[in-house]
Amino acid sequence: MDKKIRVLVAKPGLDGHDRGALIIAQALRDHGMEVIYTGLRQSPAQIAQAAIQEDVDVIGLSSLSGAHRSLFPKVVEQLRERNADDIFVIGGGVIPAEDIPYLEERGIKKVFTPGSTTDAIASYIKELITPSSQSIAQSPKRIAHIGIAVKSIDDVIHFYHHVLGLHLSRVEEVPTEGVKVAFLKIGDTSIELLEPINEQSTIYKYIEKRGEGIHHIAFEVEDIEARLKYYKEQKVELIHDTPQPGAHDSKIAFLHPKAANGVLYELCEYKGEE
Amino acid sequence: MDKYNSAKDKWSHDVQKNLKRFPERKQTFTTSSDIVVEPLYEPDEKTEKYVENLGFPGQYPYTRGIQPTMYRSRFWTMRQYAGFGSAKETNKRFRYLLDQGQTGLSVAFDLPTQIGYDSDDPMAEGEVGKVGVAIDTLHDMEDLFDGIPLDKVSTSMTINAPASVLLCMYIAVGEKQGVPKEKLTGTIQNDILKEYIARGTYIFPPKPSMRLITNIFEYCQEHVPRFNTISISGYHIREAGSTAVQEVAFTLANGMAYVDAALEKGLEVDRFAPRLAFFFNAHNNFFEEIAKFRAARRIWAKIMKEHFGAKDPKSWKLRFHTQTGGSTLTAQQPDNNIVRVTLQALAAVLGGTQSLHTNSRDEALALPTEESARIALRTQQIIANESGVADTVDPLGGSYYIETLTNEMEEEIKRYLEKIADIGGAVQAVEDGYMQREIHQAAYEAQKRMESQEDIVVGMNKFQVEEEINPDLLKVDEQLEIEQIHTLSQRKEKRNIEEVQQSLQALEKAASSNTENVMPYILNAVKAYASVGEICNVLRKQFGEYIG
Repeated sequence: MDKKIRVLVAKPGLDGHDRGALIIAQALRDHGMEVIYTGLRQSPAQIAQAAIQEDVDVIGLSSLSGAHRSLFPKVVEQLRERNADDIFVIGGGVIPAEDIPYLEERGIKKVFTPGSTTDAIASYIKELITPSSQSIAQSPKRIAHIGIAVKSIDDVIHFYHHVLGLHLSRVEEVPTEGVKVAFLKIGDTSIELLEPINEQSTIYKYIEKRGEGIHHIAFEVEDIEARLKYYKEQKVELIHDTPQPGAHDSKIAFLHPKAANGVLYELCEYKGEE
Repeated sequence: MDKYNSAKDKWSHDVQKNLKRFPERKQTFTTSSDIVVEPLYEPDEKTEKYVENLGFPGQYPYTRGIQPTMYRSRFWTMRQYAGFGSAKETNKRFRYLLDQGQTGLSVAFDLPTQIGYDSDDPMAEGEVGKVGVAIDTLHDMEDLFDGIPLDKVSTSMTINAPASVLLCMYIAVGEKQGVPKEKLTGTIQNDILKEYIARGTYIFPPKPSMRLITNIFEYCQEHVPRFNTISISGYHIREAGSTAVQEVAFTLANGMAYVDAALEKGLEVDRFAPRLAFFFNAHNNFFEEIAKFRAARRIWAKIMKEHFGAKDPKSWKLRFHTQTGGSTLTAQQPDNNIVRVTLQALAAVLGGTQSLHTNSRDEALALPTEESARIALRTQQIIANESGVADTVDPLGGSYYIETLTNEMEEEIKRYLEKIADIGGAVQAVEDGYMQREIHQAAYEAQKRMESQEDIVVGMNKFQVEEEINPDLLKVDEQLEIEQIHTLSQRKEKRNIEEVQQSLQALEKAASSNTENVMPYILNAVKAYASVGEICNVLRKQFGEYIG
């Protein structure tokens, strides 16, 4: 049985608008968290003190009076002074978008503005507190494709299509990568043929250096962000820290070959059907 | 039929009387097709029941409005709530709004002022000048009204726990301008019960707070007779998430508690009740909002006449200010808010409001810019001058839907009033947290309906677009807090400190005796330039503080 997530919902300063704070407190309780609400008019020091006493995992600050710029960072400072900066601080209220980077630079993990749903806030907190090694260490869903570098798709298509009998599902050019690709379906995976269309293409350089052959293996995954974050924590070397846009609305990222015995792995997350 | 005719005769007589003071805006009112618009439209069946339930405008139970001619003579007062930063800066915004055709002032104070802290108090950190103007001493109040003659404008002040202090400052500014306090007009909010329920700017516990309020009633009926001594507010109850029925029910319950407190103090109902005013919200459900205002008027009239035995018709009339619903505005696609505000303002006008604040489109993002504030004011001016809805009294009276809704809301509101009476009245219900729980429950359910898309909020949970953040927003200069503190310390040094201390000691003594009225003592302290914080600290010492 997991320990319940503990949250302190706090109103710093003199602002009396607590409709949002109360709704979020109740919604987080409905999501199985233990929530303590401070009531109105708490100083940053009182909030930090209460967070430590109540042994919470996260503090949610709410202000609608415009005092967030001065008060939210003070709460982070007060936690630091008490060696309690492992407690996450998030915030919400009437906060102009341009203030968000200011607050994030000062240690506020995330700012939720009007219109955020309580579900989104709850799942953010869950993700924050339980970076859930068990869920992320799950296997990728399948091999999405195996990438093979070739000098010319036209030259090899006869072999793959007519001799091996693989179904050609699509051919397209990806100018940003300097490649033309052809996908050949096999079971629930594919062979991806990669042909360089210019000399800047990484595929061109690959073929120059190592000749034609298997270039990379791609895994389909869910929640690519969380997975990259987890890999990073596990000191896996990455080519991309954050997901890049791929074809057909997908998000992709490459691991460095150094991380996997010289094999280049790609992660793909598809929106809906591939 | 007899009863109907005599009521109508009385109305015609009232109209004639009224027209001498406030002639109609036009010689004749017509539509674009030259159809003449009558002052009032009447039912086909001229029954006694009509007279009892609706009555003629300006007649008990005031369902159709509190004046016989309503907006045919004068539009409602267009009163935009404003204030931010320093008194000097706010003074500029006030003059701008008056130049733009606004007809009354409405002061927003910053939170430290509202909770009785000076700008240099550690509790004020980060809040100085943010949601309103920072007022520390009479000096600031003099700056605030510089060049604005107090005998020419009426001023509404959103101030509650320290209402006595700010009213005294207003009186003192008037005296300096040569305007006697008997001539001052305006309103102080002074409604502490809804602060415990919904708004949060309380200082003292309920008992001494109720005493301060009755002290103000008593003082004003003698000395400031044209000032509304309280604005009993449902606005914030609604913003906190209540339903329309709860808004009216809890507000009227609070109103009854103030009347009870004043009667207990020995005041005569017909001397203070005519100065009670109300403040409601206008949300999106158009017809429900209109019916709400009509039901509220009818119930209050009955309460004052039947329950409290008031004899003066002025005591029966529920006069109210309306503000459009801040919590209905979205941060997404902020220009859509102009449309919401228009509908809400129209509901308030069709419901017979006496004054109106229309919100600015950018209020879910920040304080309004000058441009947004102007559009908000223009919205009311368009409704008044272009739509024709103000050309006949209570144009929706007699609509099957409106009258049925009005009746049903009245029933629901009465049920709540009975429940609160069973608990022991509004003060007890507040202390038990009854109203707070009811409101929170309603707010939570509304949130869930919105998240499940059962309730659609255009641009927020449906019809979203990718949008550029940010339009131009108003920013309060961070430097202001430092400057305000600096000015305060200079001004504190220049005062006659002996005079300040004497006035505060006298106030402390008056506060400690239960029978003394503190108002004259506060007025003296204010004139000696004692600060809001100093005065409130004296009272804190005597009264204690409320912990929410």
